[in-house]
Amino acid sequence: MIRDITIGQYYAQDSSIHKLDSRTKLMGVLIYIVALFLVKNPWWYLLLFAVILALYRLAKVPYGYLLRGLKGIVILLIFTFVFRLISTPGIPVAQLWIFTITGEGITKAISLTVRIALMIIGASLLSYTSTPRELADGLEKAFGFLEKIHVPIHDMAVIVMIAFRFIPILIEETNVLMDAQASRGVEFEKCSVWKKCRNIFSLLLPLFLSAVRRSSDLAMAMEARGYSGEGETSRMYPLRYHSGDRIAYVLMFLFLAGVIVMRVVNIY
Amino acid sequence: MMRIERLGFTYSKNTVDECRVLEDISFHIQEGEFIGLIGSSGSGKTTLIKHLNGLLKADSGAVYFQGQNIYDKGYVLSKLRKEVGLVFQYPEHQLFGRTVLADVCFGPQNLGMSKEEAEKSARDCLELVGINESYYHTSPFELSGGQKRCVAIAGILAMQPKILVMDEPAAGLDPETKHMIFDLVEEIRKKRNIAIVLVSHHMEDVAYYANKVLVLHQGRLVLTGEPEEVFTKTEFLREIGMDVPQITSVTEKLMKEGFPMVNPAITVKEAEERILKVFRERGGAE
Repeated sequence: MIRDITIGQYYAQDSSIHKLDSRTKLMGVLIYIVALFLVKNPWWYLLLFAVILALYRLAKVPYGYLLRGLKGIVILLIFTFVFRLISTPGIPVAQLWIFTITGEGITKAISLTVRIALMIIGASLLSYTSTPRELADGLEKAFGFLEKIHVPIHDMAVIVMIAFRFIPILIEETNVLMDAQASRGVEFEKCSVWKKCRNIFSLLLPLFLSAVRRSSDLAMAMEARGYSGEGETSRMYPLRYHSGDRIAYVLMFLFLAGVIVMRVVNIY
Repeated sequence: MMRIERLGFTYSKNTVDECRVLEDISFHIQEGEFIGLIGSSGSGKTTLIKHLNGLLKADSGAVYFQGQNIYDKGYVLSKLRKEVGLVFQYPEHQLFGRTVLADVCFGPQNLGMSKEEAEKSARDCLELVGINESYYHTSPFELSGGQKRCVAIAGILAMQPKILVMDEPAAGLDPETKHMIFDLVEEIRKKRNIAIVLVSHHMEDVAYYANKVLVLHQGRLVLTGEPEEVFTKTEFLREIGMDVPQITSVTEKLMKEGFPMVNPAITVKEAEERILKVFRERGGAE
């Protein structure tokens, strides 16, 4: 279970989505999330789901990865669903012990859960199709205007990038530690909850220590190469918009406009 | 004691990054043997040793421990893990106990020893690896790198394994600590008659300590035999990107220059004896 975390993992493919500028993709995710919140009728989520499916297909990322991102938040989704279901006032349709389930509750529960799930699926697509470096560069450029009012965007971008870069390293480290502790007789799956907590501790402590050790090594290495975070640095891969990005922007804004019109006109 | 039969393994099966790592590997491990497992990086050494205590499950072939197939239904893997101790690369990174003693006791206690038994075993093993009693109740993180490594190895030894598998136990250690660890392992092997499997890039160590050498190349076992047999095939080893012990290269060159030796030597001691013998014979003749 711990072994298959995918958030922050790049899925290398040669596709038109991978080739897009990361700023375009960031904007795309933003628009997608906004659209999720604008939609009123739950049936429209089907359309939004179809859109994301099409994008996954376009990016040549297997659909299996779609669910992998959701695994981590399954509990959150279940909680959201259950609490929405039993705590929305409206016309009761069923009675379970002291809980009343209402018609509104059912629709609200479904739409809220679906909304969160789609948000995660959309955001995962971003991380499958852009490397951490591209993402950090994109973030830095997109928010660069804030530097003018002395918000340290560049530093933040570096921090974000390093954090992303560390995820696969830490996952790998966890795997090594799991093997090592399993060799010392630790069971991670077939045991009681109490035992599990104690056993997880045998992973967490070494993992934490290695994270600290690695980050201090990294800081030292950066300093040794004269990194100070100040001043303008040139880029090895400067961000540049291509024709694909223009098309993507047009499509994105058409999509957003469509959703807004629907919301304002309130046809469905 | 352990028999590996036609083992094959594939990483990330049925995905885009599917990769055949091991292919048709068969060998056996007997009591008291000191096996050196060598091979260039990426040849599958670490993957292979993870099969020895059931961390990975082969997709073809079988592993028999004391006559039983470990892939049989109902075989308790935790029992196997007690008998086959695995020391990973940089084992000091797995330490987490509050005290040195507690950390060493962790393995044996997980594997069913009582607290007293575990502590006794831990004390014995710590003494063996040369950790002074005054350290027993300090935090393992206060020790030096070499000492941490020794504590981690003691943590595996304390489980009283019958086969001890070590992946590059000497990486990053100074020569003195390294020899201490190897001598210690050798001593334990003799004392408890256990089998040792040593994975190493350092040919001199393998030549010196091992009495059987396995050479892994691209997931296949390409050479097996006594160190003399294996290391004298210098051409072949170089072809597959491996090194031979320095002294073997030296004696090989001597032979090429016409020095009367039958085979290149694989340890310094052996070379010394042979060269002296030649000179003595010459001296006698004159």
